[in-house]
Amino acid sequence: MSQEPIKEILINENHPLFDKTGMFSKEFPSDFRQIRYFTLLIVQKAPPEIKEINLLEQQISEIIKNAVKHGNRNNPDKKIRIWYSFSTSHAHLIVQDEGEGFQGIEEWNAFNRKRVQLFQEQNFDELGNFVSYRTQRSDEHDGGNAMFAAIEYWNDGVVYNTARNAVAVGKTFPLRRVGVDIGS
Amino acid sequence: MDLKIRKHSETYIIDVNGEMDLYNSYKLKELVMKMLEKKVEQFVINMENVDYIDSSGIGALIYICSTIKKMNLKLIICNIHGSVKKVIELTKLMGYFPIAGTVDEAIQKITTV
Repeated sequence: MSQEPIKEILINENHPLFDKTGMFSKEFPSDFRQIRYFTLLIVQKAPPEIKEINLLEQQISEIIKNAVKHGNRNNPDKKIRIWYSFSTSHAHLIVQDEGEGFQGIEEWNAFNRKRVQLFQEQNFDELGNFVSYRTQRSDEHDGGNAMFAAIEYWNDGVVYNTARNAVAVGKTFPLRRVGVDIGS
Repeated sequence: MDLKIRKHSETYIIDVNGEMDLYNSYKLKELVMKMLEKKVEQFVINMENVDYIDSSGIGALIYICSTIKKMNLKLIICNIHGSVKKVIELTKLMGYFPIAGTVDEAIQKITTV
């Protein structure tokens, strides 16, 4: 059976996901306590068809958390800016922080490639060493797995700008059929 | 998030109620570590009343699972559903976590393995 290609975080600020045309935007302080509240302010603009109960909220919350905690290191003087656009068939988000940028993207991609290979081989013993991506700055509250789910969830891509302090993500949802079959 | 412990024979069932998020997932980790100090050897984590989990929650489950595996003790996570199941699938952890459908199945599995 052929395996799907392993997805990677890209670095390309000319990527279509960085096109902000028609997107709304909001700015928030780097207040860790309010991350879920900020998320709700964004996700409330999304139509219910794409919320998948709270999966969209959870995925957006992770990206905001990364910007507040890892990007701005919870510095209340630093802000995050979010551009967003939703429809019944898409979710598109750009989150920019004022930090030094995610310098470990290449290392993360290599770690994730190994992790997915082990999963495809169903090697769960060895996979145990690749379930959490940690850096010297990771603390006990960091799961180290947020981007593993993000790279799968955001099926239009996860792309950083050159400074690596802005991430653009997008997801296309299958259009749902409206109406019922009445038979032939 | 609220945690309740009940006992079935030698197995301790932890009922997790509420959201496992960046603000409270550490509580489950702390509880399991305390139970390990008290020499508990068989754990079931019941996720029936958990409808939201984020990477901190997944991280707490990974930490608990790897600690218990290293100590050669027993753990089953059960009643994973909805978006919690979806997040675990997206993170490709369904084969890593020891999972059962219900509490009864978890108890049966833990006592026969």
